[in-house]
Amino acid sequence: MIEEIDQPAAPKPGPEPDPVDQPAVLLKVERLTKRFEGLTANRDIDFEIPRYAIVSIIGPNGAGKTTFFNQLTGLTRPTSGTIEFDGTSVVGMAPHEVAELGIARTYQNIRLFSDMTVLANVMVGRHVRMKVQWYEAILGLPKVAREEEEVRVRSLELLALVGLRRRYEDELAKNLPYGDQRRLELARALASDPKLLLLDEPTAGMNPGETRQMTDLIARLRKELRLTILLIEHDMKVVMGVSERITVLDYGERIAEGSPEEIRTNPRVIEAYLGKQATA
Amino acid sequence: MQDLLNAPRLRRLAAFGAVGGVAALYLAMVGLVEAFKDRNVITGVVTLGAVMLLAVPLIAGYRAAIVPRDVTEGWTRSGLQRAVNGFVAGLIAGGMLGLLVFVGRAVDLRGVLISISPDLLDFLSFGLPRAGAAVAIAVVGGAVGTLGALLLISPPRIRAVITTGLLAVILISLSEPFIRPRLEQLDYTAISDFLYQAHGLTVPAAIAAFVAGIVGSALWAPARARVRQTVEAAPPERRRSIRNWTIVAALIGVLILPQVSGTFFAQVLVLIGLYLLLALGLNIVVGYAGLLDLGYVAFFAVGAYLTALLTSPDSSLGIGLPFFVALPIVMLGAGATGLLIGAPVLRLRGDYLAIVTLGFGEIARILFESEALRPWLGGVQGILGIPNPFPARIDLDIGVAHLVASGPQVLYYPILAFCMLAAFAANRLANSRVGRAWNAMREDESVAEATGVSTVNYKLLAFSLGATTGCLSGALFAVQLQSVFPGSFDVLVSITVLAVIILGGMGSIPGVVVGAIVLIGLPQLLREFAEYRLLVYGGVLVAMMLLRPEGLIPNRSRQRELHDAMDDEEEAEPPQPELAAQRGSA
Repeated sequence: MIEEIDQPAAPKPGPEPDPVDQPAVLLKVERLTKRFEGLTANRDIDFEIPRYAIVSIIGPNGAGKTTFFNQLTGLTRPTSGTIEFDGTSVVGMAPHEVAELGIARTYQNIRLFSDMTVLANVMVGRHVRMKVQWYEAILGLPKVAREEEEVRVRSLELLALVGLRRRYEDELAKNLPYGDQRRLELARALASDPKLLLLDEPTAGMNPGETRQMTDLIARLRKELRLTILLIEHDMKVVMGVSERITVLDYGERIAEGSPEEIRTNPRVIEAYLGKQATA
Repeated sequence: MQDLLNAPRLRRLAAFGAVGGVAALYLAMVGLVEAFKDRNVITGVVTLGAVMLLAVPLIAGYRAAIVPRDVTEGWTRSGLQRAVNGFVAGLIAGGMLGLLVFVGRAVDLRGVLISISPDLLDFLSFGLPRAGAAVAIAVVGGAVGTLGALLLISPPRIRAVITTGLLAVILISLSEPFIRPRLEQLDYTAISDFLYQAHGLTVPAAIAAFVAGIVGSALWAPARARVRQTVEAAPPERRRSIRNWTIVAALIGVLILPQVSGTFFAQVLVLIGLYLLLALGLNIVVGYAGLLDLGYVAFFAVGAYLTALLTSPDSSLGIGLPFFVALPIVMLGAGATGLLIGAPVLRLRGDYLAIVTLGFGEIARILFESEALRPWLGGVQGILGIPNPFPARIDLDIGVAHLVASGPQVLYYPILAFCMLAAFAANRLANSRVGRAWNAMREDESVAEATGVSTVNYKLLAFSLGATTGCLSGALFAVQLQSVFPGSFDVLVSITVLAVIILGGMGSIPGVVVGAIVLIGLPQLLREFAEYRLLVYGGVLVAMMLLRPEGLIPNRSRQRELHDAMDDEEEAEPPQPELAAQRGSA
């Protein structure tokens, strides 16, 4: 196969180089391919995310972005290729094991536990970091109440961090306004103390004001929680404003990778988005 | 009378009347009226069959007298017009039933509608010839419909008084099978003779019951308000101690219940308890984890058969272990069965899971019935000779009281203990990491998995804990009958237990308790009811789905509690200014 991909620039170090001796690359994907009968959703994708970076994946509808996400989180098993997260291969892992490793995600179409309270939604997010077993819960050991209280306090902090008003926590998730549901989903993802946060179109359906708030929030979260963030986004303003690196997918293949400035001027990207005439 | 001819209004009244008429015809045609026509409510005055039929035009009249919100032309709020509305609706409903009598007298309908028996027609005709009978029924319908309308127009207080009075009469009358034997057992024959005659209330007793109902309800409302006021005004520690004392009082009440009510009632309590235990187990699977298991009876059967095998000296094992030695083994065995049934259905969701588990339940019953396994499980004959580990009779003299308990009155206590244990454990689980994981799985399985819940483990955990609870019920059931037969483990048990949960409120322990009392206990009041049990279950479930899909006592109170606790603690905290500003800019 002819390699047509633009040569990726050497990965820049994240904004806050980590003092501890950790590999600079948090997620490394090599030659990832996913075929659904007849349809190749992802073909030979190479991709990496430097630690503490905000990276975006863009591409027209049907470019294979969500399939890519689903493979990272263990929801879909790749046909071939490797995914290495923080030194561990996640290929073949169950989604909950991937979550335990430290990858959390949000969904393009909000998927909350709608008949549970706001607080319970966040506390479920914390599930992987909790240790109480079922028999301990029945026996009501003191550590059960202790852990429960710790998690409750932590969850309330997270709700405040994503900007959900107090007194919301006992409301059912489905009763929240749209923008707040997005924030809640974010809080749920954060509750598992992820190293890598995957955001699938976090500003979809938001007005410009809300979008700006969400963008600010993403930047702030990265700084305060020392997160690495991977975004799928349609809104170019969001992508250009917040990401350090951008990868462009089209028809399941990576057609470009680079800084926002490089992507903005890349002829293949313009072609993919606007059609051939635009470049001619 | 010109407004009566107003078309939309007449159409609406006709609709109410027709719905009532269909209801009355249905009651008559399925044989319910005939089944209950000899069950006296007030002896010599009114039977249950008549009460059922009269309720139809009453409700039709009541509904017809409600003025629609978007008042259209021709509707007024005048009392006369509303009474006329009630009359018309009742008349139509009664007229439809009258038509049945008219036709039924002329043509033999029994070839098609076997329940339209001469007995039923006699019952409906007031001894009149057919035309007269039809008219009489319509007129009675109209009159009762008018009463329904008057009930609506009357001030709320009066309405409440009449309704509670009537309900008291019906309830006391229907409780006859419980109350009468007990009174006679206690040598209060004079009271029992005053109250009941030919399985119905006597006229003076009916009047007394009506008055008692009114007085009781009149005293109840202000008393309750005063108690609530006192409790709300009390400081938190005091409130807590009040709550604790209420729990103690309730516990004492539950403990002495079979003593007070006698053996027949205790038998009913035992039945309720067995179903409650099953429902508490199924509630974990269906209510918490959202796995629709229609084969739950399998675990009931496994519990019963394992107990029989291990404890009966007549079983194929013939080891005759003591019950309490066998019980842990039974629980482990049932837990393992839960895993066994759970494992192959892990990938199934919703309807598919329901169908496969339904199959498993039937497979279990057929295995227990099978000739091939007969040397071990006894086939259709089952296993006999299961010893009862509980004393047949307790005679306890503790100075202040002399307690005597026998049969079901004794068995009641271990069942109660297991129910309380199961409820306690389920409640603890529900409010823990485990319960949250289950709920998350119920809400959205793949998101729960991606959030970090091992759905495989939690499904298996739900299945095996549910199985363990269900097997306890089976074990006690085997002990109660001292034998097990495959016929007891019919798919209807699964359906009934599910109905208990749905009626009470999925995932709500108080709901499950109420569901078991209503669905298992109440039918025992009406011996004639047995044949129509499933019909009524179906009707109740449809009504629940329409009127109150979340169940009688939905699982929402916990939130309210949490909420109140938070309010107490954090009343003074101001809203966060930064966030408020953020919202403002949005």
